[in-house]
Amino acid sequence: MHFAGVDIGSTMTKAVIVDGHGAMMASVIGPTGAEHRHLALAVMDETIRKAALSFEQLDFIVATGYGRINVPFADKQITEITCHARSVRALFPKVRIIIDIGGQDSKGIKLDAQGKVMNFIMNDKCAAGTGRFLEVIAETLGIKLTEMGELSLKAKKYVRISNTCTVFAEHEVTTKLAEGATIPEIVAGLHEGFAGRVVNMARSLGIEKEVVVTGGGAMNIGLIKAIEDKVGFRVLVPREPLLTGALGAALMGMDLLARGVTSERQRRLEGVTFFK
Amino acid sequence: MSDDQEYYAGLDMGSAFIKAVLINRKQIIAYEILSSGGRYKETARKVLDQVLSEGCVRLDKLSGVVVTGVGAESAPFQARQFSDISCQAAGCWSLFPSARIVIDIGGQFTRAIQLTPQGRVANFLMSEKCATGSGRFLQVIARILRINIEDIGPLSLRSKKPVEFSTNCAVFAESETISRIAEGAHMEDILAGVHRALAAKAAVLVTRLGMEQDVVLTGGGGEDIGLVAAVNEALGLDVLVPKQPRLTAALGAAILANEEKDKAH
Repeated sequence: MHFAGVDIGSTMTKAVIVDGHGAMMASVIGPTGAEHRHLALAVMDETIRKAALSFEQLDFIVATGYGRINVPFADKQITEITCHARSVRALFPKVRIIIDIGGQDSKGIKLDAQGKVMNFIMNDKCAAGTGRFLEVIAETLGIKLTEMGELSLKAKKYVRISNTCTVFAEHEVTTKLAEGATIPEIVAGLHEGFAGRVVNMARSLGIEKEVVVTGGGAMNIGLIKAIEDKVGFRVLVPREPLLTGALGAALMGMDLLARGVTSERQRRLEGVTFFK
Repeated sequence: MSDDQEYYAGLDMGSAFIKAVLINRKQIIAYEILSSGGRYKETARKVLDQVLSEGCVRLDKLSGVVVTGVGAESAPFQARQFSDISCQAAGCWSLFPSARIVIDIGGQFTRAIQLTPQGRVANFLMSEKCATGSGRFLQVIARILRINIEDIGPLSLRSKKPVEFSTNCAVFAESETISRIAEGAHMEDILAGVHRALAAKAAVLVTRLGMEQDVVLTGGGGEDIGLVAAVNEALGLDVLVPKQPRLTAALGAAILANEEKDKAH
């Protein structure tokens, strides 16, 4: 048995295939463009090839993420909140709080002892506290988003950035540079402010020990450290933080099939043309 | 010394521009606006020198100077400081004594000030945390549309169907603008949409203060006829707009310098 999950996020499209035991066989990460449908197909196709399978061998496909309705080959659409909870339950059974930092939103998810979603909170109204914030500022500083984490660790102190608004923070950052602050100090300051916002979000759910951070933000080691400073304990990070949603989607497919929900995909597949 | 020889200067050191006004008998006789370019002290001195030479007044003949604005701390000389709220109130009230509300839309914030019948500050509210509450929002959108700030107003007035943004964040609105343009939206409809969003934020502040007749719209926003029209629509009245909306705080500073001197006598 094989199950696939496709997660169309605001910035990245991710696909995962798991075997009948829920173990990951293959994964692919590609950028999300304007053409969701084509991209979902292309990413899925590549994942299938990596797993040395054929499309027909997939028993169930679940789509998740904000672009999930644009996955015509999926058997079912499930929200990313549920999918995140599902994979975190598999990876870290003790976790009660998920902080997911995506490209254009961030979420706090609270789980009960069984790993089911109890409550969640989401910010997609304002770029502050989302990957977009760091992306915009990285561009202002002329550095890569992916090097921010390492850079910030070089700072001995951080320079506080008092503006929450990305647009104003952009201006503040250039002022601080002009005043002589170093890029590592500024990046460390950005992480400190950012961590404060996402931790406050998690606190509003009632923070509990065993926190996992997922999404692209979890790949930033400086941000993780800043979050740990705020909560006062170590947090968990999946080995592949970007894949949490897609993995959860694949596992949800496995659960659904076990419960007797069958795929009607074959019928709907007619008319869908594949890349390659 | 008679009033005729009494000259007062007001210096408004804003985040982007430094403005100076020279008055005599509460009338503007010279003014200057210069971009600070990060050099506050230097620019402030230059702006003041220029109004003095234009008004043919020597620095030591000035009867008083008041400095205001976020950069007031970096003034190049010793001078009395007043908050920009007090100066804005004094400046607008001197131009429009019937005004009871002043809306100031600047590059960094929008504020609403409630005035007493005597032109003093009764109360004020600010929206300063988020770029969508300030002229900065317009700058961000104008930049990606590649149009000049001064063309925004006339273009916006041509809109028949203002865009309604799905977001309240300037950064997200930037991406939304790009996709709307790709979908065929007109530039003027996007600008009018931004104007509406800004006007709505200003109207919220005014409503919280308590709506009153005779509202002045000042600050850089007062120079944008599209924004003025949107504020009129949002408030359901015609706002009063100073001829030089960016100078009202500097004018107020000069007037307060004059009043301080009068009090001392």
